[in-house]
Amino acid sequence: MNAMIRISLAIVTLCLLGACGFKDIDKRFFVVALGIDQSENDKKPYRITLQLAVPSPKIEPGASKTQIETIDAPSIAEGVRMLKAYVDKEIDFGHCKIFILGEKVANSDYQGALEWMMRRRDIQSVANIAIGKPDAESLLKVNPLSERYPGNTLFLSFGADGTESSYTYVESLSDFSRRASEEGLDPLMPVIAKDNQESFIINRTALLDKKRVRLVLNPSEAQLYNQLANDFTKSSMHGMFEGLDLVVAITEIHSKFRIGQQNGEDTITMDVKMKVVFEEAPKGLYSDQWGPVQEDLNKEYAKSCVKLLRKIQKAGVDPIGFGLRYRATHPGSDAFKKWESMYPTIKFVVRANIIIEGTGLIK
Amino acid sequence: MNERLRLLFAEAVDIKFEHLQNSEMSIEIAYIAPLCEENKINDFIIVPFTKDAYPFQSQLDTNPEYRQVEDIAKWQELLLRGHVLIQANQIIYAFDASRIISIENPQTQVESAIQGPQLALSEDLNISLNLIRSMYPSPDLSVEEHTIGSLSKTPILALFDQRRVDPSVLDTVRDKLTSINVEMLHAAGELEKLLVGKRKHLFPTILITERPDRISKAISKGKVVILLKGNMFAIILPATFFDFMHAMEDDYDAYWMTRFLIFLRYASIVLTITLPALYISVVSYNPEVFRVQLAFSIAGSRSGVPYPSFVEVFIMLFMIETLIEASIRLPRYIGSTATTVGGLILGQAAQQAGLVSSIMIIVTSVVAISNFVIPVNSLSFAIRFLKYPLIAVSIFFGITGVAVGLFVYITYLCNLRSFGKPYMRIFGKLRPLEGDVGQVNVE
Repeated sequence: MNAMIRISLAIVTLCLLGACGFKDIDKRFFVVALGIDQSENDKKPYRITLQLAVPSPKIEPGASKTQIETIDAPSIAEGVRMLKAYVDKEIDFGHCKIFILGEKVANSDYQGALEWMMRRRDIQSVANIAIGKPDAESLLKVNPLSERYPGNTLFLSFGADGTESSYTYVESLSDFSRRASEEGLDPLMPVIAKDNQESFIINRTALLDKKRVRLVLNPSEAQLYNQLANDFTKSSMHGMFEGLDLVVAITEIHSKFRIGQQNGEDTITMDVKMKVVFEEAPKGLYSDQWGPVQEDLNKEYAKSCVKLLRKIQKAGVDPIGFGLRYRATHPGSDAFKKWESMYPTIKFVVRANIIIEGTGLIK
Repeated sequence: MNERLRLLFAEAVDIKFEHLQNSEMSIEIAYIAPLCEENKINDFIIVPFTKDAYPFQSQLDTNPEYRQVEDIAKWQELLLRGHVLIQANQIIYAFDASRIISIENPQTQVESAIQGPQLALSEDLNISLNLIRSMYPSPDLSVEEHTIGSLSKTPILALFDQRRVDPSVLDTVRDKLTSINVEMLHAAGELEKLLVGKRKHLFPTILITERPDRISKAISKGKVVILLKGNMFAIILPATFFDFMHAMEDDYDAYWMTRFLIFLRYASIVLTITLPALYISVVSYNPEVFRVQLAFSIAGSRSGVPYPSFVEVFIMLFMIETLIEASIRLPRYIGSTATTVGGLILGQAAQQAGLVSSIMIIVTSVVAISNFVIPVNSLSFAIRFLKYPLIAVSIFFGITGVAVGLFVYITYLCNLRSFGKPYMRIFGKLRPLEGDVGQVNVE
């Protein structure tokens, strides 16, 4: 009997301690996207926009209902807490997979927002983060026509389930926070723009330093960057051969780089190997020798790669992680300082090795 | 003799006392009519005695069926077991004319196998023994008789292979069997409880089966089998957890298919134990575990439900458990109606009435169906209970609680012993391995 009393006492105490998290799923308001903008008010610099999902048992295209709540607040945490008073259910960030930073925030300082995201326990680190153009609030008000679930369009755009665009760079919160603090590896984010009232365009990538945006890559550069840094295969490449347009689809791509000396100069040598299939090609290519075509493609690809790398170098950021590699291979506490002095003048050599697998046709 | 017997027994019309006389001698016979086969009494006693073609005394002396009884104290017991007592020339003989009513060659019903022996054990010990002996024709098969129950006097048989049996197990079994002190014993389950000794146990540590092929296999593995008179089920001991998860068909069918089925069984055991608890903890504590789409559709379908998730779970589980219980107790013809009415209509209606969410209907049916995948009934019953403590824990602690609860279950299983043998030993075969962790060595 004594043991029974003891056990039940222990259970009661544990219950009292543990019974604070119980909240049914229908009593929670799921935030599907969060936007952080800069407001005009100096005392309340943050404008927080929450896209809240209104669940419905009916699932059909266009049936997604969302509720938008906006507030200006001195800090993000306070703003979110304040917003709780605006809604009838417990706000839950468990399914918030999209964080949009307004362009202004990204251009001034993103660290405060990132800090809050990393600290809150119900925000998942797999969430995606992006820059909203012109601001996050207007993007969250977009109502895509085909959306079946609240927020699903953005989830699908960034996740691997839906579209896999070679122009979209997908950045997760954990990777972003790592890049934001790692020496020798700089963060980058996709830029979401509004098409009209019904869809998004995500084809630019912003490169940031530890504080703000330094460079925005245009769509073709963004694609090239994805190929180089992420070995992104479902993409295409444009080339010329004897004055004729060629477009090839990449079926396999591997790139690696080495930091070393070449002719007495510090050089980053990049080897890009890829296998391609023609998507657009001049007639008669089928029976021609592919060797010269490959040569031309190699040259052209290497040229555009070097151009992109130079541009990134000039902006003073390092998203590919050359600096991290340098730190890893050069011991010593002053390695990064050495690298910082070296990087602005380092030379890039790109060696492309393109293998044409087929013309996409069967004779 | 008859005078004495009249004193020993209560007034009963079915006890027959006769006095017979032929040309050379006179005998007295006594028997309890309903317990005996009249034909046998006629053929072996009355007809030969009255015909008088062969001296009856020499028949008594030569035929071993007539056993001489010297102890007066045994009279009562012999009569109650269906013997006929014969007094001839002041010597008492007993003749076994007992009539045992049992189902002739019953089919397997509880543990059916599609391909495999279809005959089950019989309520008659002789028929059961016949089945086992013919499946295990070995001179090493040893059969011991014991009697249990001060009133019921149930005869039980302990069978084992004398070369292969584990001596420590056999000793414990013999000890237990002789020390059991009850008035009545009728079912194998009752004996199981007496043998295990613990009043409150969660898992069956003794296998109860009706399949002679399972029994003969168990004997060949050195286990002890106990048969009960008047019971179609035998007891196999010791047993491990994995014996309970083993269907006889696993040995008969194609390799990959049976491996898949075994995997299916373990998967469904995990499901049936954890699913209701996980439902509560995910819906009420960690909805981010679901995919977004699922989270929204659950939230949508739950939005009309007035109660918190655990009340919902209790409603549905109460419904399904009563259904299962009802369909077991009902006659077979009505049983199927009950399940149809309950399962299809009630579930549908409960969801439409907004009492439970549609996901909960799926959870309940998965729990119920996967519970029946377990091949041995006693484990299936034990498993049916296991989900409730987990539900209770999950209400207060969510997923963490479920994980800890599962750990507790596993620890408990590892702690269990079946007649000194570890219950949760991974490899189901019972070999006395020296140095085995947790092995209790009795030499």
